[in-house]
Amino acid sequence: MRPNSSLALLNAIYSFTLAAAGSLPRGVSPEFASHYQNKDQFTCITNAAIKLSLSQVNDGTCDCPDGSDEPGTAACASIDPLSPEQPLPGSASSTTNTSNVLPGFWCENKGHIGAYVPFSYVNDGVCDYDLCCDGTEEFGHKGGVKCANKCAQIGKEHRRLAAEKRAKMERADKKRQTMLSEAQELRRRVESQVNDLKGDIAALEARKEELVRKHQEIETEEKSKVVRGEKTGSGGKLGVLVGLAKARVEELRDTLDKVVDQRDNLRTKVEELETILRKFKEEYNPNFNDEGVKAAVKAFEDYAARESTASSEDITEADIDSVLAEDTETNGVNWKEFEELKQAGDTDILYNIEAYLPPFLRSFIQSKLDGLRVWLIQNGMLADNHEPGTESALVKAAREAVEAAERDLNNKRKDLEREGGDLSKEYGPSDIFRALKDKCVSVDSGEYTYELCWLSKTSQKSKKGHGHTGMGNFNRIDWEEADDVERLDGRSLGKGKRMVLRYDDGQQCWNGPKRRTDVWLACAETEELWRVSESEKCVYKMEVGTPAACEPAEKKEPSGKDEL
Amino acid sequence: MGHFPGASGLAVKEHDFKKCHQSGFCKRNREYADNAAAQKSTWSSPYNVVHDSISFNDGQLQAVILKTINSEGATERFPLTVTFHKSGTARVTVDEEKRQKKEITLRHDSQARKERYNEAEKWVIVGGVDKDEDAKISHQDKDQVNINYGPDSKFEAVIRLSPFEVDFRRDGESHVKFNDHGLFNIEHWRPKVDNPAPKEGEEAAQVEVAQKEDESTWWDEAFGGNTDSKPRGPESIGLDISFPGYEHVYGIPEHTGPMSLKQTRGGDGNFEEPYRLYNSDVFEYILDSPMTLYGSIPFMQAHRKGSSVGVFWLNAAETWVDIIKAKDSINPLSLSTPKTTTRTHWISESGVLDVFVLLGPTPKDLTSTYGELTGYSAMPQELAIGYHQCRWNYISDDDVKDVDRKMDRFKIPYDVIWLDLEYTDDRKYFTWEPHSFADPIGMGKQLQEHGRGLVLLIDPHIKKVDGYSQSSELVSKDLAVHNKDNSIYDGWCWPGNSNWIDCFNPKAIEWWKGLFKYDTFKGTLENTFIWNDMSEPSVFNGPETTMPKDNIHYENWEHRDVHNLNGLTFQNATFQGMVTRKKGELRRPFILTRSFYAGSQRLGAMWTGDNQAAWDHLEASIPMVLNQGISGFPFAGADVGGFFGNPEKDLLVRWYQTGAFYPFFRAHAHIDSRRREPYLLGEEHTAIATAAIRLRYTLLPAWYTAFYEANKDGSPIIRPMYWTHPTEEAGFAIDDQLFVGSTGLLAKPITKQDQFSTDIWIPDEEVYYDYFTYETKKTQKGKHLTVSASLSQIPLLMRGGHIFPRRDIPRRSAASMKYDDYTLVVSASKAGTAEGELYVDDGDSFDFEQGQYIHRRFSLDQSALRSTDAEGRDTASLKQSKWLQAMKEVYVDKIIVVGAPAAWSREGVQITSEGRSWPVKVQYHPAANGKAAFAVVGRVGARIGEDWSIELA
Repeated sequence: MRPNSSLALLNAIYSFTLAAAGSLPRGVSPEFASHYQNKDQFTCITNAAIKLSLSQVNDGTCDCPDGSDEPGTAACASIDPLSPEQPLPGSASSTTNTSNVLPGFWCENKGHIGAYVPFSYVNDGVCDYDLCCDGTEEFGHKGGVKCANKCAQIGKEHRRLAAEKRAKMERADKKRQTMLSEAQELRRRVESQVNDLKGDIAALEARKEELVRKHQEIETEEKSKVVRGEKTGSGGKLGVLVGLAKARVEELRDTLDKVVDQRDNLRTKVEELETILRKFKEEYNPNFNDEGVKAAVKAFEDYAARESTASSEDITEADIDSVLAEDTETNGVNWKEFEELKQAGDTDILYNIEAYLPPFLRSFIQSKLDGLRVWLIQNGMLADNHEPGTESALVKAAREAVEAAERDLNNKRKDLEREGGDLSKEYGPSDIFRALKDKCVSVDSGEYTYELCWLSKTSQKSKKGHGHTGMGNFNRIDWEEADDVERLDGRSLGKGKRMVLRYDDGQQCWNGPKRRTDVWLACAETEELWRVSESEKCVYKMEVGTPAACEPAEKKEPSGKDEL
Repeated sequence: MGHFPGASGLAVKEHDFKKCHQSGFCKRNREYADNAAAQKSTWSSPYNVVHDSISFNDGQLQAVILKTINSEGATERFPLTVTFHKSGTARVTVDEEKRQKKEITLRHDSQARKERYNEAEKWVIVGGVDKDEDAKISHQDKDQVNINYGPDSKFEAVIRLSPFEVDFRRDGESHVKFNDHGLFNIEHWRPKVDNPAPKEGEEAAQVEVAQKEDESTWWDEAFGGNTDSKPRGPESIGLDISFPGYEHVYGIPEHTGPMSLKQTRGGDGNFEEPYRLYNSDVFEYILDSPMTLYGSIPFMQAHRKGSSVGVFWLNAAETWVDIIKAKDSINPLSLSTPKTTTRTHWISESGVLDVFVLLGPTPKDLTSTYGELTGYSAMPQELAIGYHQCRWNYISDDDVKDVDRKMDRFKIPYDVIWLDLEYTDDRKYFTWEPHSFADPIGMGKQLQEHGRGLVLLIDPHIKKVDGYSQSSELVSKDLAVHNKDNSIYDGWCWPGNSNWIDCFNPKAIEWWKGLFKYDTFKGTLENTFIWNDMSEPSVFNGPETTMPKDNIHYENWEHRDVHNLNGLTFQNATFQGMVTRKKGELRRPFILTRSFYAGSQRLGAMWTGDNQAAWDHLEASIPMVLNQGISGFPFAGADVGGFFGNPEKDLLVRWYQTGAFYPFFRAHAHIDSRRREPYLLGEEHTAIATAAIRLRYTLLPAWYTAFYEANKDGSPIIRPMYWTHPTEEAGFAIDDQLFVGSTGLLAKPITKQDQFSTDIWIPDEEVYYDYFTYETKKTQKGKHLTVSASLSQIPLLMRGGHIFPRRDIPRRSAASMKYDDYTLVVSASKAGTAEGELYVDDGDSFDFEQGQYIHRRFSLDQSALRSTDAEGRDTASLKQSKWLQAMKEVYVDKIIVVGAPAAWSREGVQITSEGRSWPVKVQYHPAANGKAAFAVVGRVGARIGEDWSIELA
């Protein structure tokens, strides 16, 4: 069907397309040129049965179910799975829920690099210079927009930046080499330290053994003296002891009584406070978003959760009552029995004392009395009656020598554990992050300063005060696919596999999980924290440049951790 | 967590808001009603019109009502005015003489005004009040006066004198009755007498009366730790309004619950409480409740088969409305089924009694007449009807730019991104947080590249702090609301201690206007628009989260009198500011408001406030938005996704599918919720949300046309069944499906979890096609049609007989579609006919008021498909604006005829336009597999603004 002259006039804007771009219709890329070279008619690329007159190409209406008759207009842009579905006989799905066979409007961008512009952007009144520096996608001048050809300028700038970027990348790779050797040197140092430590430990172990043997010898010798001394010593001190003990127990009982009162008092107060807080939690209005209130509610919830899971008291009221009850023949310590035991062997009685205690008290006293005593001493209720043991100077010296040797040994072992552990710790490919250990980078972003400490932690600090918030502690290294726009300044993750350092287990978020940070790395000349975003509530993404993320000359596939 | 729904079932702190029995005047009037009901026929209303006082001139009747106030026969005088308007409305106004003449004393040395508030009309009424000089008394005797008025004098008001009653009739039949049940009540002024020592015996008679009555709620009234000093004592007004034979009443937003209002006096399925109108910041509001919300429109419509009537209660004070539906007693001799009468009882705390009566008879007559009185919906900024992306909060200018880029990258169109509270420096409005928003101009310009806009939150509370010029000026110029002691009122809101601008004060408006100038509010651009939140006003430490009623506004009116108008006056001041940002620049503002009143529709859009990410809130949004439409404020929407909480993916995509049918389409989220921009949903769900948003965008020309209709005659933008089909009784209570404007597009969004099919009620005999597949649906009038609705499907039908415009190229924003060609979709009726309209203007200026628009009428009959000027204008002499000139290069691309009659089964057609004729290809697809026959005609190539015709003969 040929249009008459008036239609040609109406559609002049579209048909002059043919002349404008040489022999090819507007928007056709070299890739698809062959489909548009027939001089008589146009055949839809994937619908060979549909043949159109040449005037129907780029006439602003979509005729081919694959969109191929409108390479230079937006008319077929609605052939797209994201658009509301409409019947489209002849398309793969018989609906518009299919893909346009053409990738986009081809901007030749002479003087720069040719590119496809999405059909949606054609003649929408916006100059999309980042894709189409020659401005040809706005040939319709919708709403009066005119996009001048800026390819000369943009191409030049692009080449300049690209060269700069290349140079930067080369320098970055050199830096990376330096870092690698630094990292290897650091690893070597750790390894040699480990070796040194192993030697030290062996030597120390031998020495310790020797000292232990010596100590045992001296001790055995001395023990006999002590035993003799005991026999000549006391005989009738038990009565005194019983008297003292009885008074002491009374005193302790009184004190315990007071402590119980104090505790009950405190318990009432806690209950009162908990009631207030529960009411507070139920009735506050979270819409007011008062950080202080939110923090308080959160803290109370944590407290409540902890309390509900905490094990119940290991001492019951009945236990305490029984301790507080007066000692009688049937309850507590039967003092009378002790007082009647005149000259019996003190030692026997001492060893038997447990037999006189109520069964639960035996273990209870053993486990609690020490604690209570310490507490009482610390609170000034009990004098520190501890007397140093009697030990001969000789034994003491021997023992101390053993102890010192043991301490040394333990310290060395700890060092070894640390250094050895460090060797098996994750430091990235070729251990490269050793070179960044203990270093941090930060960036100002809005109200906050964000900080990344390599393989340690991430945090944010408000410029308004409020202190640091931990955004995660280093956990592991992963790899993920990045899909960002390449930027000529190089400060972008770009596209492809990127190292992602996972920092987990940061500070708890209000009403949310613990904060965590994914630190995405891309190649750059120096360590720089480019940007931080909150990809979802309390999950942060840091985009970071570092030479450590540069691709080595021979591309290495990421693999397990130890690549040494 | 407490404030996430579902977790603990927590909702609004109901006890923070008054029930009727906690609001003294409501309690008294309800008891008055109970008392009247208990006395039945022995009850006699103590209000009588003095026969000799009646005068009638130029469509206005004046008289005096006497109220007998004690057994001795003492009376109080109440001037009555009944005015008849050319628009067919009647207005009944009753004032109180003693207060009118200021012959009262106020308690607590109050400086408040003594009169009953009578200035609501100043803010609300914009037209339709020309007196009907043809109205005339047709009968008068000692018992009653009959007045004929309205179109062809078909309306009649019968005013009975003893007791005072009015019966409004149309064609001889009663439709609206005032004081039919004797609940008319105006609490006359009386002094507080402190017992037991009456002051020197003065006014002894009144003391006696006062002692007989229960005074417990007359004076100082406490609630929730706040005491209202009530310096004027009891002053409420009440009136029963009956709609004989009417079973359904609609309107009086804003409430949750069904569109067809429920009874409020208890009983199975009924509410226990009256509907309340007292604009409030209700935190986590509950569903299916008569509780008050953020805005109020005291306009009620009663509907029955073939007739609609309405009343507009012009009062800005706290108001309660009781509704009872009673079956009329059966006449044993009558064969007809008993009719239901709806009786309503209106109670306001103060002010004059001022009621408009609208006698219909169609829903369209009502919305149009009501619009004549209170104004029609403003023509929107074009970008405002696209998709809005909002969150509390986008945290920095970088964040905003990033979201902007991501929307493009994921090919999701949007037009406006929003900044909530946190963009400000320390919650001082008109400032920017200096670190996070260091470069607002750069941000604004990036948005402008694609014709997009930025909306900033500006609230009426001004932080009280040193070094903040807005605060110091507000105080030094004395433009803030005063407290009861008449000094500047301090309260708490977002910024902490704050003062509230008093936008009733013309000087405050003048000052406020200045704050929006580009030179003053640095960082704003032409694409900056405004969001007015918290304008009820919300006061965190105030009674019921608002201002004390004894606060004092401009000219000493008490807050009590003007409360419900507060949001409107604030939005009005902002509107004034937006149109005077720069000399010589006159562009349509876009202002979203949370609080509103009758008339707010002239100023911008509203949304339903802080809803929740829950299925039941999604479901409730549709009746709420429909109710706004029939109540004159159709530019309405609910937060897509739900404000509080985190929506599951299926809920969120269903909400996008529903939101695409809200006139105001905005996604919003609370600060504690997870990020949920549509591109974050994951490929499958993102694609579904994108398709829903794109559906909205392809239909923008149809939506804009619907907005135009609302602007022209008040027609709702989305329409409930009773409105489009007022004679189909089965549709009167349906509020979960809707028509989009006059397009014949019938949508029933899915609002339930795991629901993959739905039943659409079919209102007529016309043919219906599936929007997406062109399948002819097997429908039957009055029956339900089951349609499938997988997660990616939206139940959407095309009613036969309509033509609507589309723009099919997916673009990044509405602005970038401005000069795209059109697709016309013709949905042929059973008879093979169709008609429809397109209205388009520059979407930005007020040039349309000078005729700079295109308004086409399309029609299909057996012989031709035509486009003609819808208003029959001759535009040849019109000097065309730049926009109208550019529109010359905008064409009809193709025409899709669904259900195409056989005449379309051909290779091509000839089109004629602008004196030329040319052939156009037709691809005809015969009916097959349940699909209707359809024809794709194109490229048409006719200019959209020109007449054209395609002859089929």
